[in-house]
Amino acid sequence: MSRIPVTILTGFLGSGKTTLLNRILTEKHGLRIAVIENEFGEVGIDHELVISTDEELFEMNNGCICCTVRGDLIRILGNLMKRRDKFDHILIETTGLADPGPVVQTFFVDDELREKTIVNGVVTLVDAHHIVGQLEQTHEAEEQVAFADVIVLNKCDLVPEENLDALEQRVRGINALATIHRTTRADIDIAKVLEVGGFNLDRAVEVNPHFLDAHGHHHHHHSEIFSVGIEAEGECDGRKLNDWISKLVREQGKDIFRMKGVFAVKNQADRVVFQGVHMLVDAASGGPWAGRPRKNAVVFIGRNLNREALNAGFRMCLA
Amino acid sequence: MKNLGEFEAGDNILSLKWSRDAAKLLVTPSTGDILVAGLEECSVKERFSGHGMGNGSSDWFQGEPVTCGFDGKVRRAGKEWAPGRGMIDRVKSNCDDSLFAVAQNRRLHVFNGANEPLYMIDLPASAADFGWSPTQAGEIATAGAGGACLWRVGEDNPFARFDWGGACLGVEWSADGRWLATADQTPSVHVYDIPRDHPLHIQGFEGKVRTMAFSPDSKRLATAGSPVVTVWPCKGKKGPEGATPIQVDGSESEVLAVAFSPKTGQLATGDGKGTLLVVSFESGQFRRKRTRLTSGIASLAWHPLLPLLAIGHDNGNVMFLSME
Repeated sequence: MSRIPVTILTGFLGSGKTTLLNRILTEKHGLRIAVIENEFGEVGIDHELVISTDEELFEMNNGCICCTVRGDLIRILGNLMKRRDKFDHILIETTGLADPGPVVQTFFVDDELREKTIVNGVVTLVDAHHIVGQLEQTHEAEEQVAFADVIVLNKCDLVPEENLDALEQRVRGINALATIHRTTRADIDIAKVLEVGGFNLDRAVEVNPHFLDAHGHHHHHHSEIFSVGIEAEGECDGRKLNDWISKLVREQGKDIFRMKGVFAVKNQADRVVFQGVHMLVDAASGGPWAGRPRKNAVVFIGRNLNREALNAGFRMCLA
Repeated sequence: MKNLGEFEAGDNILSLKWSRDAAKLLVTPSTGDILVAGLEECSVKERFSGHGMGNGSSDWFQGEPVTCGFDGKVRRAGKEWAPGRGMIDRVKSNCDDSLFAVAQNRRLHVFNGANEPLYMIDLPASAADFGWSPTQAGEIATAGAGGACLWRVGEDNPFARFDWGGACLGVEWSADGRWLATADQTPSVHVYDIPRDHPLHIQGFEGKVRTMAFSPDSKRLATAGSPVVTVWPCKGKKGPEGATPIQVDGSESEVLAVAFSPKTGQLATGDGKGTLLVVSFESGQFRRKRTRLTSGIASLAWHPLLPLLAIGHDNGNVMFLSME
């Protein structure tokens, strides 16, 4: 049975989420998309495929942020999965002030949802006109950028062209992994929102830890949240790598929002790919190297990460 | 076993409820019309409009079906209410048929069927489930993030709280009102001995408990989520505490529905592949009769007076099986 893809749509208040949702619901793309909306503070979307719900956080383990999931999603999606007339895609809108972590974790933690759905990715809408102030004033805006697989830099018509590059670099400094699209009035090809594959290990072909350097960004903004990329030639010792990642997420998982890596592991012919959210990590074979050089690349996105310690820790894993 | 008849309801059967006079069965599919079937004809007698994207579990209230759904609406006897914004996934009537309630986000709306909601209770967390007391008409239990609460209709604050910090997905009362059980998001069950104000945390399940039911004499609690159904003894002073449960195997996949017969005390269980077990208990032992039906079993409802079982399938088929 094929799993139904789920896209999580997040973004600060006024970033254009409702505009994008209306576009997705009304455009002729031939897909049946169910939308679960949480934006109670804004104007609701009146559409037959929209379900309104309140965010219902379930703490599963003594308040640990990494074990917090969304109870309402478990119930709604559980029901949607049972219906005969299945959807092609499910889109979950979070509130503007929400931490996307519990939404993503829900799909890792709940067995039923793991079996029947697949998280396609997190799409974050950013208001290009206001994002600098939002990043400086709130944690939420930074966290939403940090979690993203795709960042839609919206309202670009309100920002001079020459400022957009700097803005993009600022966002890239927080999240080195996401694809960034510039839009006005959330006018974007729907496929770029729905066909993300951010959590799909089969699609983890490349991880480019040099993205930051290529864009000449060196964290001038002193953001608490930023990306650390590591690249190394040679092969890893599988056991050491496993121990290191386990220890890392155990001790620092709360501050690591996303991580992705492709590794060359000794005695394994294929690539080993992994990705994670906070303490939840998923790893799989990434298929043959197919002529690419056997090397390791990993990117962490998190709060107050210790770049040197991460580099040193990883190098200890080399065989 | 004898198949007395069957019909199609169009989609996965979310819930089955016999009317209080035991003559009609209320059939709620996940989507589409909500149906009333007659026992004598074993066929559909009435249809009621569904609730768009998805129906919630329906119930009977004063002889009429009351329905709800993802559209946030509640309907009964030609009346419709939209108490607030947000989906509604179940409606339940109380033990003396004087009130019914729906949970919508962090609010419980209580109706008497005639007017707008009679009472509203603001909950500490969204109610993942709720259940009316089987013995006290104005008392209701809610379960969700943090644990469970007991409320009296008309009062703003709960008169009992069972906070354990985790999350509950389902709630069941024993028929005598002594036990309240919650199925949790983690693979565990909490059982509260209400008169003793004594909580019990039962762990060790293979997976999340998806369904549970008390026997009509309140002496057993069946819990399921894996292919094995665990039946806990609830008699005596301590109930399940320190007791060895009965493990009923024989299912082929996760058990999705369990129900005890009010007439015979037998337990019926149904799994996702269509395996029906009918279990009889005799002095600490059990016997099970196994039948393989053609599609997954989503809901079960024993007739209140007869040895007859209504079975709702995941493909929308509803079947009446006589155990005589």
